[in-house]
Amino acid sequence: MPAWHKKRRWKPILLKTAAVLFVLWLGFVGVVWWSMNQQPEKFATVMSYMPGPVVFLMAPFETMWMRARAGSLQPGDHAPDFNLATLDKTSHVALSSLSSKGPVVLVFGSYT
Amino acid sequence: MSFLVVYILEAHPSDVWQMESNIKDKVVFASPKNEEERALVAGACVSKLGVKIPAVLDGFDNTVEKAYTGWPDRLYLIDREGKVAYKSKPGPFGFHPDDLKTAIEKTVTAGKLAENRPHYLEVRKIITTN
Repeated sequence: MPAWHKKRRWKPILLKTAAVLFVLWLGFVGVVWWSMNQQPEKFATVMSYMPGPVVFLMAPFETMWMRARAGSLQPGDHAPDFNLATLDKTSHVALSSLSSKGPVVLVFGSYT
Repeated sequence: MSFLVVYILEAHPSDVWQMESNIKDKVVFASPKNEEERALVAGACVSKLGVKIPAVLDGFDNTVEKAYTGWPDRLYLIDREGKVAYKSKPGPFGFHPDDLKTAIEKTVTAGKLAENRPHYLEVRKIITTN
Protein backbone atom coordinates (compact mmCIF):
# COMPACT_ATOMS: atom_id res chain seq x y z
CA MET A 1 0.00 0.00 0.00
CA PRO A 2 1.47 3.43 -0.96
CA ALA A 3 2.45 5.76 1.85
CA TRP A 4 -0.13 8.41 0.92
CA HIS A 5 -2.89 5.90 1.51
CA LYS A 6 -1.97 5.59 5.14
CA LYS A 7 -4.55 7.10 7.43
CA ARG A 8 -3.18 10.39 8.74
CA ARG A 9 -3.13 10.66 12.48
CA TRP A 10 -4.51 14.13 13.04
CA LYS A 11 -4.86 13.98 16.79
CA PRO A 12 -1.14 13.99 17.67
CA ILE A 13 -0.49 16.74 15.10
CA LEU A 14 -3.22 18.90 16.56
CA LEU A 15 -2.01 18.26 20.09
CA LYS A 16 1.55 19.17 19.15
CA THR A 17 0.41 22.35 17.42
CA ALA A 18 -1.68 23.33 20.43
CA ALA A 19 1.25 22.67 22.76
CA VAL A 20 3.61 24.77 20.62
CA LEU A 21 1.07 27.62 20.41
CA PHE A 22 0.53 27.48 24.17
CA VAL A 23 4.26 27.69 24.87
CA LEU A 24 4.56 30.63 22.44
CA TRP A 25 1.62 32.37 24.17
CA LEU A 26 3.18 31.78 27.59
CA GLY A 27 6.43 33.31 26.33
CA PHE A 28 4.53 36.28 24.93
CA VAL A 29 2.64 36.87 28.19
CA GLY A 30 5.93 36.47 30.06
CA VAL A 31 7.59 39.18 27.98
CA VAL A 32 4.64 41.54 28.53
CA TRP A 33 4.70 40.88 32.29
CA TRP A 34 8.45 41.39 32.45
CA SER A 35 8.21 44.67 30.55
CA MET A 36 5.40 45.93 32.82
CA ASN A 37 7.77 45.50 35.76
CA GLN A 38 10.53 47.58 34.16
CA GLN A 39 10.87 51.35 34.23
CA PRO A 40 8.06 53.04 32.26
CA GLU A 41 10.37 54.05 29.39
CA LYS A 42 11.41 50.45 28.82
CA PHE A 43 7.84 49.16 29.01
CA ALA A 44 6.71 51.79 26.51
CA THR A 45 9.54 50.81 24.16
CA VAL A 46 8.52 47.15 24.27
CA MET A 47 4.89 48.12 23.70
CA SER A 48 5.81 50.26 20.71
CA TYR A 49 6.92 47.07 18.91
CA MET A 50 3.60 45.31 19.52
CA PRO A 51 1.34 45.41 16.48
CA GLY A 52 -1.85 47.34 17.23
CA PRO A 53 -4.27 45.89 19.77
CA VAL A 54 -2.68 42.39 19.68
CA VAL A 55 -1.35 42.65 23.20
CA PHE A 56 -4.71 43.71 24.60
CA LEU A 57 -6.48 40.82 22.88
CA MET A 58 -3.93 38.11 23.54
CA ALA A 59 -3.00 38.78 27.17
CA PRO A 60 -5.04 39.63 30.27
CA PHE A 61 -3.45 43.06 29.97
CA GLU A 62 -5.53 45.02 32.46
CA THR A 63 -5.23 42.44 35.26
CA MET A 64 -1.48 42.19 34.72
CA TRP A 65 -1.11 45.97 34.62
CA MET A 66 -2.99 46.48 37.90
CA ARG A 67 -0.66 44.01 39.62
CA ALA A 68 2.58 45.13 38.00
CA ARG A 69 1.94 48.80 38.78
CA ALA A 70 0.35 48.29 42.21
CA GLY A 71 3.31 49.95 43.93
CA SER A 72 4.41 49.52 47.53
CA LEU A 73 2.67 52.55 49.03
CA GLN A 74 -0.50 51.56 50.89
CA PRO A 75 -3.39 53.56 52.35
CA GLY A 76 -2.41 54.51 55.90
CA ASP A 77 1.29 54.74 54.99
CA HIS A 78 3.14 57.98 55.48
CA ALA A 79 3.13 59.77 52.10
CA PRO A 80 6.74 60.37 50.98
CA ASP A 81 7.40 64.08 51.20
CA PHE A 82 8.70 66.01 48.20
CA ASN A 83 9.64 69.53 47.38
CA LEU A 84 9.18 70.26 43.67
CA ALA A 85 9.40 73.39 41.56
CA THR A 86 6.26 74.84 40.04
CA LEU A 87 6.10 74.77 36.24
CA ASP A 88 7.18 78.39 35.92
CA LYS A 89 10.06 77.70 38.35
CA THR A 90 9.19 80.73 40.42
CA SER A 91 8.60 78.72 43.60
CA HIS A 92 8.68 75.30 45.21
CA VAL A 93 5.84 73.33 46.76
CA ALA A 94 6.44 70.86 49.60
CA LEU A 95 3.77 68.22 50.16
CA SER A 96 4.23 68.40 53.95
CA SER A 97 3.52 72.13 54.03
CA LEU A 98 0.29 71.60 52.05
CA SER A 99 -0.90 68.58 54.05
CA SER A 100 -0.31 70.35 57.37
CA LYS A 101 -3.06 72.78 56.30
CA GLY A 102 -5.53 70.08 55.22
CA PRO A 103 -6.06 67.10 52.90
CA VAL A 104 -4.22 67.18 49.57
CA VAL A 105 -5.23 65.62 46.26
CA LEU A 106 -2.29 64.61 44.07
CA VAL A 107 -2.91 64.16 40.35
CA PHE A 108 -0.08 62.38 38.58
CA GLY A 109 0.03 62.57 34.82
CA SER A 110 1.43 63.99 31.61
CA TYR A 111 0.11 65.62 28.44
CA THR A 112 0.57 62.61 26.15
CA MET B 1 -8.15 71.10 50.99
CA SER B 2 -5.64 71.58 48.20
CA PHE B 3 -5.04 70.07 44.79
CA LEU B 4 -1.70 69.57 43.12
CA VAL B 5 -0.78 68.23 39.69
CA VAL B 6 2.52 66.37 39.65
CA TYR B 7 3.70 66.48 36.05
CA ILE B 8 5.66 63.29 35.38
CA LEU B 9 7.35 61.60 32.42
CA GLU B 10 5.30 61.37 29.23
CA ALA B 11 2.99 58.39 28.74
CA HIS B 12 2.93 58.33 24.93
CA PRO B 13 5.66 60.45 23.39
CA SER B 14 5.70 60.42 19.59
CA ASP B 15 9.11 58.70 19.38
CA VAL B 16 8.21 55.77 21.62
CA TRP B 17 4.64 54.51 21.96
CA GLN B 18 2.54 56.87 19.91
CA MET B 19 -1.25 56.76 20.29
CA GLU B 20 -3.66 57.34 17.39
CA SER B 21 -5.89 59.34 19.72
CA ASN B 22 -3.01 61.71 20.49
CA ILE B 23 -2.37 62.27 16.78
CA LYS B 24 -6.07 63.05 16.33
CA ASP B 25 -5.96 65.50 19.24
CA LYS B 26 -2.67 66.97 17.96
CA VAL B 27 -0.92 66.08 21.21
CA VAL B 28 2.32 65.08 19.52
CA PHE B 29 5.48 65.54 21.55
CA ALA B 30 8.76 63.64 21.41
CA SER B 31 10.32 62.44 24.67
CA PRO B 32 11.74 65.43 26.52
CA LYS B 33 15.55 65.16 26.65
CA ASN B 34 15.95 67.11 29.87
CA GLU B 35 14.04 68.85 32.61
CA GLU B 36 13.69 72.08 30.61
CA GLU B 37 12.05 70.21 27.73
CA ARG B 38 9.74 68.44 30.15
CA ALA B 39 8.78 71.81 31.59
CA LEU B 40 7.94 73.05 28.06
CA VAL B 41 5.57 70.14 27.37
CA ALA B 42 4.08 70.55 30.84
CA GLY B 43 3.52 74.25 30.16
CA ALA B 44 1.80 73.44 26.84
CA CYS B 45 -0.39 70.90 28.65
CA VAL B 46 -1.48 73.31 31.35
CA SER B 47 -2.21 76.16 28.96
CA LYS B 48 -3.93 74.10 26.21
CA LEU B 49 -6.10 72.14 28.62
CA GLY B 50 -6.73 75.16 30.81
CA VAL B 51 -5.56 73.37 33.96
CA LYS B 52 -6.31 75.66 36.89
CA ILE B 53 -4.88 73.37 39.59
CA PRO B 54 -1.33 74.34 40.66
CA ALA B 55 1.24 72.08 38.99
CA VAL B 56 4.74 71.00 39.94
CA LEU B 57 7.32 69.27 37.79
CA ASP B 58 8.85 65.95 38.82
CA GLY B 59 12.63 65.94 38.47
CA PHE B 60 14.16 64.28 35.42
CA ASP B 61 15.25 61.38 37.66
CA ASN B 62 11.51 60.71 38.26
CA THR B 63 12.01 60.40 42.02
CA VAL B 64 8.46 61.31 42.97
CA GLU B 65 6.91 59.20 40.21
CA LYS B 66 8.90 56.19 41.46
CA ALA B 67 7.94 56.78 45.11
CA TYR B 68 4.24 56.96 44.21
CA THR B 69 4.20 54.64 41.14
CA GLY B 70 2.43 57.51 39.42
CA TRP B 71 3.01 56.64 35.73
CA PRO B 72 1.11 56.95 33.45
CA ASP B 73 -1.50 58.61 35.67
CA ARG B 74 -2.79 58.12 39.18
CA LEU B 75 -4.78 59.84 41.90
CA TYR B 76 -3.93 60.15 45.59
CA LEU B 77 -5.52 61.74 48.60
CA ILE B 78 -3.19 62.64 51.46
CA ASP B 79 -4.82 63.44 54.80
CA ARG B 80 -3.85 66.25 57.16
CA GLU B 81 -1.53 63.88 59.05
CA GLY B 82 0.45 63.31 55.87
CA LYS B 83 -0.82 59.76 55.41
CA VAL B 84 -2.20 58.14 52.27
CA ALA B 85 -5.99 58.22 52.58
CA TYR B 86 -6.73 57.07 49.04
CA LYS B 87 -4.61 55.61 46.28
CA SER B 88 -6.20 54.90 42.94
CA LYS B 89 -5.23 51.89 40.90
CA PRO B 90 -2.74 52.63 38.11
CA GLY B 91 -4.08 54.56 35.14
CA PRO B 92 -5.49 54.51 32.63
CA PHE B 93 -7.71 51.62 33.83
CA GLY B 94 -7.63 52.63 37.49
CA PHE B 95 -8.04 56.39 37.09
CA HIS B 96 -11.50 56.96 38.62
CA PRO B 97 -12.22 60.51 39.87
CA ASP B 98 -15.56 59.29 41.32
CA ASP B 99 -13.71 57.02 43.76
CA LEU B 100 -11.52 59.98 44.72
CA LYS B 101 -14.64 62.05 45.35
CA THR B 102 -15.97 59.39 47.75
CA ALA B 103 -12.59 59.29 49.53
CA ILE B 104 -12.55 63.11 49.84
CA GLU B 105 -16.02 63.11 51.35
CA LYS B 106 -14.96 60.47 53.90
CA THR B 107 -11.74 62.29 54.82
CA VAL B 108 -13.39 65.66 55.13
CA THR B 109 -16.21 64.22 57.27
CA ALA B 110 -13.66 62.42 59.47
CA GLY B 111 -11.68 65.66 59.76
CA LYS B 112 -14.77 67.62 60.76
CA LEU B 113 -15.72 64.99 63.35
CA ALA B 114 -12.18 65.15 64.78
CA GLU B 115 -12.31 68.94 64.81
CA ASN B 116 -15.70 68.94 66.53
CA ARG B 117 -14.84 66.17 69.01
CA PRO B 118 -13.50 68.55 71.75
CA HIS B 119 -16.74 70.55 71.53
CA TYR B 120 -18.78 67.37 71.66
CA LEU B 121 -16.86 66.16 74.73
CA GLU B 122 -17.34 69.54 76.36
CA VAL B 123 -21.09 69.45 75.73
CA ARG B 124 -21.34 65.89 77.04
CA LYS B 125 -19.44 66.87 80.18
CA ILE B 126 -21.84 69.72 80.80
CA ILE B 127 -24.85 67.46 80.24
CA THR B 128 -23.57 64.66 82.50
CA THR B 129 -22.47 66.94 85.32
CA ASN B 130 -25.85 68.62 85.40
